Amino acid sequence: MAAAMAMAALCRRFTGTLRVSGALQASPAACLPGLMPNLFQKNLAKVEPLHHLKFLHTTLSRKGLEEFFDDPQNWGEKTVKSGDAWNIKQLRGKSSEDLHKLWYVLLKEKNMLLTLEQESKRQHRPMPSPERLEKVEKSMKRIDLVVREREDALRLLQTGQEKPVPGEWRQDFLGRTYWYTYKEWPIPWYLNKKYKKRKFFYLPHVNRFIRLRLEKHLRRRARRQNLEKKKQKLLEKKFPHLAVKSQSQ
Amino acid sequence: MAARVRRAVYPLFQPGGPQLRLFRPDFFMAAVRPGVPQPADTAQFRVSMEMTKVDIKNYLEKIYNVPVVAVRTRIQHGAHNRRNHKNQRVKKPDYKVAYVQLGQGQTFQFPNLFPEKEQTPEARSFDDFKNKYLEEEAQRQRGDPRRGGVPDWFGL
Repeated sequence: MAAAMAMAALCRRFTGTLRVSGALQASPAACLPGLMPNLFQKNLAKVEPLHHLKFLHTTLSRKGLEEFFDDPQNWGEKTVKSGDAWNIKQLRGKSSEDLHKLWYVLLKEKNMLLTLEQESKRQHRPMPSPERLEKVEKSMKRIDLVVREREDALRLLQTGQEKPVPGEWRQDFLGRTYWYTYKEWPIPWYLNKKYKKRKFFYLPHVNRFIRLRLEKHLRRRARRQNLEKKKQKLLEKKFPHLAVKSQSQ
Repeated sequence: MAARVRRAVYPLFQPGGPQLRLFRPDFFMAAVRPGVPQPADTAQFRVSMEMTKVDIKNYLEKIYNVPVVAVRTRIQHGAHNRRNHKNQRVKKPDYKVAYVQLGQGQTFQFPNLFPEKEQTPEARSFDDFKNKYLEEEAQRQRGDPRRGGVPDWFGL
């Protein structure tokens, strides 16, 4: 544990020095409108001595706010080539750690694309390859789905609960049925005034109104169905040849 | 820009409870070109409406590894002066704008994302001319589709 801590501290120090050197180098170049590609190469040359420490994985903070923008080679292009969205089968084969890493990669990509979209809107230009945004959003949705599947499976194994938040069907004071989700209360329900004030039952005098509500619902439904039938008949009367044809088919 | 679909359910806060963790955040953050000139160390963003100043600071520091000194936010009112075909008011959505002051002497200027690409004019123009010529030639071979196969020499 102590060794790990020491390693972490060492990593932090390395990243710190790198960041500072990067910032110092970046400050004169950042005033330019574009990024200098040779800037990265300079940084790489500086980092080279670290390569023999293979077990030390330090993420270089070479790119800070530049990650909000596409590769400078793609600037001004009309179309940018991109791969397909992540398939759900591919995602199911990945470990949870990989999925979470991928989520952040996609999040950065999405931010980049949103930046590009906004800038192209501002300059009244078509966005280069706008389908990328949809692909990224689809992939993120699928990652979410896969993670939820795994959580569900684990919950079913451990607790037997089907839903992440348990609940039940309840009735309010007017006899309407709704889904009540359980939630945590700071004090038990039998001491809780706020909870006890809520009524999850209805008194017998409400029965009449439940009946009326039901009747209203049925009447509306019947009226709608009658209207549809009437329309159908009118159409059949207007276009008899089409009506016969549709019946024969 | 994006709709939040997931809704995280957090346990009730009690003193001594574990710190709340956010996995897979779906907050978006888009850098925008500032309309009003900003100081050299300030970057402007459009962020999710739910994000707070602390969220924005953590987001940039943890995910993007950018040193942040201060964050200022405001909510931009979306215009509602448009009218639709029924002459009803149509509102554009509001959005949150964040002004982030960078630390460690870093500066930021919004780059030009649509530079004029220098293409070799002769190669491009030659290809264009060739393609156009070939297309015209093919069309001439096919003839006028409205004539229904009647030869050119027949008619007025």
